[in-house]
Amino acid sequence: MVHLKINGQDIEVEAGVSVLKAAEKAGVKVPSLCYNEELGHFTSCMLCLVKDARDGRLFPSCSVISTEGLSVITDDEEITEARQTGLELLLSEHVGDCQGPCQIACPAHMDIPQMNRLIAAGKFKEALKLVKKDIALPAVLGRICPAPCEGACHRKTVDASVSICLLKRFVGDENELHPFDPLPLNGKRVAVIGAGPAGLAASYYLQLNGYQTVLYDRNDLPGGLLRTEIKAEILPLNVLDQEIGTILSTGVEFRGGVEINASYFHDIVSQYNAVIVATGNLADEIRNWGFTTTAKGIEADQNSYVTSLKGVFAIGNTLRSSRLAVRSVGQGKEVAWSVAQYLSGEEPKGEPRLFNSRFGRLFQEEISEYLKESVPFNRVNSETLKYSGLTKEEAMEEARRCLHCDCRDIENCKLRDLSGRYDASQRRFAGNERKLMTKHFTHSIVYEPLKCIKCGICVRMTSKYQEKFGFSYIGRGFDVVIGVPFNESVEAGLAETAEKVAKACPTGALSVKDSK
Amino acid sequence: MIDLNKIDIIVSENGTEKTALIPILQSIQREFNYLPEEALRRVSEISKIKPAEIIGVASFYSQFRLAPVGEHMVRVCVGTACHVKGATQVYDALRRAFKLKDGEHTDQSRKYTIEKVSCLGCCTLAPVVQIDQITYGHVTSDKADDIIKDFETQKDNKSKKRFRKSDGTEIQGEIRIGLGSCCVASGSSDIKDAVESTINETGLKVKLKSVGCVGMCHQVPLVEIVPVNGEATLYSKVKPEDIQQIVASHFQPSGLFPRLRNRFFNAVGNIQTDQKWKGIERYELNIREKHVSSFLGKQFPIATEHRGMINPLDLEEYQQHGGFLALKKVFSEFTPGQVTDKIKSSGLRGRGGAGFPTGIKWELVAKQTSEIKYLICNGDEGDPGAFMDRMLLESYPYRVIEGMIIAAYAVNTREGYFYIRAEYPLAVKRIRAALEICRENNLIGKNILGSGFDFNVKIYEGAGAFVCGEETALIQSIEGNRGFPHLRPPFPAEKGLFGLPTLVNNTETFAQISFIMRDTVDRFTRIGTAKSKGTKVFALAGKEARGGLIEVPMGMTIRQIVDEIGGGIANGRKFQAVQIGGPSGGCIPASLQDTPIDYESLTSLGAMMGSGGLIVLDDTDCMVDIARFFLSFTQEESCGKCTFCRVGTKRMLDILDNLTQGKSKPGDLEKLEKLAGWTKKGSLCGLGRSAPNPILSTLKYFREEYEAHLNGICPTGKCSALVNYSINDNCIGCTLCVQRCPVDAIPFLPHQKHVINAELCIKCDACRQVCPVEAVVVK
Repeated sequence: MVHLKINGQDIEVEAGVSVLKAAEKAGVKVPSLCYNEELGHFTSCMLCLVKDARDGRLFPSCSVISTEGLSVITDDEEITEARQTGLELLLSEHVGDCQGPCQIACPAHMDIPQMNRLIAAGKFKEALKLVKKDIALPAVLGRICPAPCEGACHRKTVDASVSICLLKRFVGDENELHPFDPLPLNGKRVAVIGAGPAGLAASYYLQLNGYQTVLYDRNDLPGGLLRTEIKAEILPLNVLDQEIGTILSTGVEFRGGVEINASYFHDIVSQYNAVIVATGNLADEIRNWGFTTTAKGIEADQNSYVTSLKGVFAIGNTLRSSRLAVRSVGQGKEVAWSVAQYLSGEEPKGEPRLFNSRFGRLFQEEISEYLKESVPFNRVNSETLKYSGLTKEEAMEEARRCLHCDCRDIENCKLRDLSGRYDASQRRFAGNERKLMTKHFTHSIVYEPLKCIKCGICVRMTSKYQEKFGFSYIGRGFDVVIGVPFNESVEAGLAETAEKVAKACPTGALSVKDSK
Repeated sequence: MIDLNKIDIIVSENGTEKTALIPILQSIQREFNYLPEEALRRVSEISKIKPAEIIGVASFYSQFRLAPVGEHMVRVCVGTACHVKGATQVYDALRRAFKLKDGEHTDQSRKYTIEKVSCLGCCTLAPVVQIDQITYGHVTSDKADDIIKDFETQKDNKSKKRFRKSDGTEIQGEIRIGLGSCCVASGSSDIKDAVESTINETGLKVKLKSVGCVGMCHQVPLVEIVPVNGEATLYSKVKPEDIQQIVASHFQPSGLFPRLRNRFFNAVGNIQTDQKWKGIERYELNIREKHVSSFLGKQFPIATEHRGMINPLDLEEYQQHGGFLALKKVFSEFTPGQVTDKIKSSGLRGRGGAGFPTGIKWELVAKQTSEIKYLICNGDEGDPGAFMDRMLLESYPYRVIEGMIIAAYAVNTREGYFYIRAEYPLAVKRIRAALEICRENNLIGKNILGSGFDFNVKIYEGAGAFVCGEETALIQSIEGNRGFPHLRPPFPAEKGLFGLPTLVNNTETFAQISFIMRDTVDRFTRIGTAKSKGTKVFALAGKEARGGLIEVPMGMTIRQIVDEIGGGIANGRKFQAVQIGGPSGGCIPASLQDTPIDYESLTSLGAMMGSGGLIVLDDTDCMVDIARFFLSFTQEESCGKCTFCRVGTKRMLDILDNLTQGKSKPGDLEKLEKLAGWTKKGSLCGLGRSAPNPILSTLKYFREEYEAHLNGICPTGKCSALVNYSINDNCIGCTLCVQRCPVDAIPFLPHQKHVINAELCIKCDACRQVCPVEAVVVK
């Protein structure tokens, strides 16, 4: 047996065990992308760097065998910077989008590509469920949203963006009820002041999560500006009422016609476990409620919406005047996270923000690669459909125009997880030029070489499992690519091991086709 | 369709195991000039080697080509010395001459394929271009067309003259001709032909002798005349047509008739010599000097002992000069342990660059109990500005072999390998021949010299990968893999070739062993400094007046090397810096030129002993460009295994590209420094860990040059994107520049001051080079 110290903790391991494994025994998970349980160490990604406490030297823990008396530090400022830098270098050549650019552009970060896939497959109920995770009012927003998502859509480079907004409206219109069962009430009560899009959304998500929510508004009916400012031919009142109905039906208690002043506000604060202010453009009255404010509105943290008053959060136009209802709706969703965190004694941080790889503009030469997962149809003419909406057939057809820019392995990508954990920036070491993306399909998997981080797991695995062709490193240095020998197809290269290899890929370079 | 039978034969000759892969690929390429896919498929069918392994290896080593090439290969050397002397412009000029579009490397007629090579090892002839077997030295960008024309006339012109051997009794003296690669490249084989025909025609009884590298590569080709009585005279930069006169001035023909003939030839020779020789400088010039005593006087030859005196392959001669005495002494007087102890007490450190104590390495291998152990002589000299190993292998094969046998005895191994770069065909040929002669003389094989000790040596030719100089990568390469290094420990001493204990030492290290063992160890330890004993061989090249291969005692200062051996800076320019250690080393500024050269002092300055390239830079050299040059080399040579080296070197190069092209952004220097620091700390092997040194050392000593580039200014005018060419009032209207300009950017206006059209100008530098009055201004 060998004795060593991991972060000062004494550990005993068998002879021949790597430092990475010894750390694991000490309960420390050292990050690595190229290490694979089945294939062992390879020393490629260099993220498993740890420090020899005796001389301060960094070494890759996956490949160093534990020796008697070794003392290892697995995390400190320098090691964190090393891993961050390593990740940033990998990201600088990782060409691919984690979330689709549409999802990133959407102020509510709705999973648009997945919605499109569900619509295309005719799974409308599931589509609604997905949409409602992020957007409480899809039928409403489907009529009034200026659709920043469509501006970012890669399909624009091909012909015209996908009619995302109309598709969302279709999903909202197609189903009458909200698709979720609220959690049982947990005994905590939250007040939401202002029943516009922000307040409605916040109420919805809090109620769903078991917080008894009381929604106040000075008007008799909920809806705020949605009810007063938008022409009926664009947003018919019955659509608005119906969609608000799905929110209230979760158990939100609406108290209309209530004018709130400073003292009433403080009464509310004292009565509830948390309060959300969503009163729209900041009225002078509210400046007296005790918040720190700026010329634009109430000052609040941009992720957690925490204000200067304890237990009070602020969202929507009270922060800053905006014509984007979707932003307010998104903030309503996000503040529900904060409030829940606050009420369970955590520091409110808002909705977890995951790392997103982005490559920017699609090159002309890449269009054909992206069209491999799409159809060449033109966009439905949305001007004429502005009022009528899409038929089922139109919706399915339009949804199929989506290029599916989002990554299949988004839920299962070590690179993304670690990039988020180490706060890595993809832009810091951005190169002068990027290579052209390609996509290679087999019957079961997809290979996207420019997402590859050259960890060699697939090369080692196809060799281990005696693939006839397998994958090989081709070339060397920065220009090395992983490919199939003799220009054989990926199908031929991974004849036996495709799914196994795809699952072992630490990022989205190789992914199982139907994983999303 | 290719003839697959050829592939079957190649495989049957080399074997079907993975270790045969690189030799198989080398044979296929020799046969087809590239690696046809059908051939590779065939190999996978009839051997145990998998397709993924074949393509992995074939695409890793730069020697291998996966696409067909033209009839003739045009190799433009872009090694360090060539780079600082304008190799890029030469390359661009040749591309223009072949009318190549971006991305093309073979001309329309498929006759010529152009490629950059990292070093042809002829640094003193820089810039160098090789077309097939003909080497052109001192090429300038305006000579591109001339070279091609010359090659067209030369390519079929093979000399058939033969030398009639003299019987030896009436020898009047010796004519020694250098046959190191530099000499050969500079035309010494033509000289040899000329000497042979002169001797034939005059009937002189002189012995013609080929000798190894003398080291004075700045003066090649060299011919030394050694009369039986009288002083030896060394002629440098000799032309074939000079030979008759040289020979005649030293030797008298024996009979009357030949004497007359000799006179006659002499006269004709004079006329010929006075002719202005118009050729492109295939071999050049007419300056002649006697022994350059300052060049050789300060040196101390150990690895290069008896330089210029012995025929590389003449075993008897090597023995007459003390060769194999050390080995005999070792066998008769010492146990293996005592040999190791002696090497330890000699203080010898690895000459490959890192300076690890050789004796300790031997001890590590010696104490391994494994039945089989290996020994490898690392001759994979990849530094683009170094050619010591090549010269040692070519000129002193027996000395290296002797060192290896002694080492093998000390660590108790019976199998050895020479790992030699594929770019050194002459070295491979010499070593092969030397090993054969050693075998015949019981110096290699069973029961060497009756000692009971067996030792066999194989030659393994590298296939072009700088990283294979790293010992773990080198071992991978011999095993038939991509040259991916792995983390040490385990060190090769414990787990090396085929997983067995392996001693890997540099060629130069082995070349020092016999000197240490032959006499007392003291003789060696007296030379050098406290921690760096003995001598170091350097390839001195660049802007000094006299370049070449030098061997100096450790502790000699940079100033002594540059001024006394190198003869100062050529062309009256100012000494700016030396680059020591190649891509792993750094730049040391002139202000620190009194630094003694040893392992520690170089490392403390941010440079490195490295493999021993020593490039002298003058005030016309842009230090940012130098850093970019080395980084583009390491980036190209990175194996691609670990993140920091694979991507880090590329991103640093991106920043340096931007700096030299005027596209940099504020903050780039800080980013560059940060990346350099992390690449150093986070890379897997020595290549990545030392790759940032050229950047860090230039940033340290020449930061103001970087800052100037950040502002779009290249102070020396080297970075062509940052400068413009113009003509000043010195212009005499001679139109030479007009005639040379490849893009007609200078209108033909005789007797008027010429003007360069900046929009057309491609900054090829031809006008500046040709201008007789220095009227072309680069700013």
